[in-house]
Amino acid sequence: MNLAKIFISALLIDNIVLMRFLALCPFIGMSIDVSKSVGMGLAVTFVTVIATVVTWPLYNFVLLPLNLTFLKILVFILVIASLVQLVEFFLKKNVPGLYASMGIYLPLITTNCAILAVTFDNISKGFNLIESVVYAVGVALGFMLSLVLLAGVRDRLKTAPIPKFLQGTPILFASTSLLAVAFMGFSGLIK
Amino acid sequence: MKKDILRLGIALALFAAGACAALAVVYTVTGPTIAGHEREQLQASLKDLFPDADDFIEVDGAIRSSVPDVTVMGSWKAVRGDATLGVAIRASAASYGGDAVMLVGVATDRRIAGARVMTISDTPGLGANATNPAYFVDKAAKTTFPGQFSGKSVHDAFEVKNDVVAISASTITSKALTSIVKEAGVVGSAWLEANASGGSR
Amino acid sequence: MKRMWKIFVKGLVVENPLLMLMIGLCSSVAVTSSVSNGIGMGLAMTFVIVFAELVISLFRKLIPSDARIPIFIIVIAAFTTMVDLSMQAYFPALSKSMGVFIPLIVVNCIIMGRVEAFASKEKPLDAVVDALGMGLGYTWVLIGIAALRELLGNGTLLGARVMPEAFQPILFFILPPGGFMVFALFISLNLWLKKKIATGDAVREAA
Repeated sequence: MNLAKIFISALLIDNIVLMRFLALCPFIGMSIDVSKSVGMGLAVTFVTVIATVVTWPLYNFVLLPLNLTFLKILVFILVIASLVQLVEFFLKKNVPGLYASMGIYLPLITTNCAILAVTFDNISKGFNLIESVVYAVGVALGFMLSLVLLAGVRDRLKTAPIPKFLQGTPILFASTSLLAVAFMGFSGLIK
Repeated sequence: MKKDILRLGIALALFAAGACAALAVVYTVTGPTIAGHEREQLQASLKDLFPDADDFIEVDGAIRSSVPDVTVMGSWKAVRGDATLGVAIRASAASYGGDAVMLVGVATDRRIAGARVMTISDTPGLGANATNPAYFVDKAAKTTFPGQFSGKSVHDAFEVKNDVVAISASTITSKALTSIVKEAGVVGSAWLEANASGGSR
Repeated sequence: MKRMWKIFVKGLVVENPLLMLMIGLCSSVAVTSSVSNGIGMGLAMTFVIVFAELVISLFRKLIPSDARIPIFIIVIAAFTTMVDLSMQAYFPALSKSMGVFIPLIVVNCIIMGRVEAFASKEKPLDAVVDALGMGLGYTWVLIGIAALRELLGNGTLLGARVMPEAFQPILFFILPPGGFMVFALFISLNLWLKKKIATGDAVREAA
């Protein structure tokens, strides 16, 4: 499958948040403003790509030949958790401002469904290493895109007349619903 | 300090070992059952395409796809006694929500013996109707989407909206599945030509 | 006994993980496109949370605090894998239909959250009761949302046709946007319920 196709599918057509419903917790929690969204998006992109580069060879050169594929879930999530610990450590020492502003959401990257889903997808879709990395970048940027979009919407919502029964979180989901409709329009984009 | 890290390491190692051991046990119990399901499903599908066959022999890697969009995953020769009835080809292509996998039977008379959708992850109510036994592309004849390929000559155009009826509002799915059947027909009949004598054009 | 009942009921309504605490949302919108998927997910998750809370509570004195997160992950991942393998073996059709969401139970914030907040500090029996409450609270909401989506979006419930022949299914509800919309309404309903309970309590206290 050619790389551009993989990338565009991951970014838009099969957007991880708006079409596949993954990574909703950080989506609702971190889309408060655009800068937080970008920060979270970049952190997630970094972790996803490194996680791919570590888990793909681990699965194909260790688990598979040794007939240990049933340890996939255990091994992958531990790799991601360790990576996030490393990122936390690095940020705390070198970029303390970002570390402080991300707060609890930094360790929560471990439980980001999207990252784990990407590592599983790489295996189930039979990608080679390059395709896996391209896919990982596409998905992570798609995640960031959806966060930035919702952050923009939330900004407008601050001054909008919202019906009482939708105030608070419900309006966020309703807005996401409309964003999802827009993204469904991408489905004919390729071929 | 060192003692602490050692303690942590040992605790982690013990839990990890315990988890792996427990999982190994569960895997040995469930593994054969899971493999069994796949085998059964394959056998049932092969029989569905070639009801007269009494055996299916795997054709090792000889059949490959000739177009980049379709991947041939496996092929089985359907035999009855000494005679070859045809070849069943499992192939996949990218569809709307991920890869779709089909099993296509090509008979020795160069016609499609049948087509079955094995895996599809498209939208329920739209693309997923490919596997819906109650969804008909021809309501009068009660033909399902994959059903319309039975008896079709491999030399046909295989064009959606031309000689193939699409699933309504699911052009992408319809095109993907059609391309699989078409390619299976092409490589299947080529293989039969080279490996199985007889059969009419 | 009354104390345990209180722990159990907490997860069902007042501290319902999906509607009140708003965690574990990831899989919920995706698996509620059909009731069978909703039930499958709910029960699978309940299995994992009950056993995870049980094991972690049993070993709570032996888990060093600094290594607790990785150990929690190991335990949760182990039970998730067990559920995944068992479903593949004994419920292959359901397993295929749920796809990647069963393995994703391992990152379900609810389980991690409860294990950290409750199981690591409480006795095993209490932990199991808490897990049951949370698990069933999760499950009933999933079934509720799935029932609405499947009924309106497909005219069926658990695959059996329920709506009259003349009813034209509204595809919107099965598709992603519909999922989000129904979720929005459920949360709205629950916030309203929460307010009613709060004012009800206030009135009772004042009285």
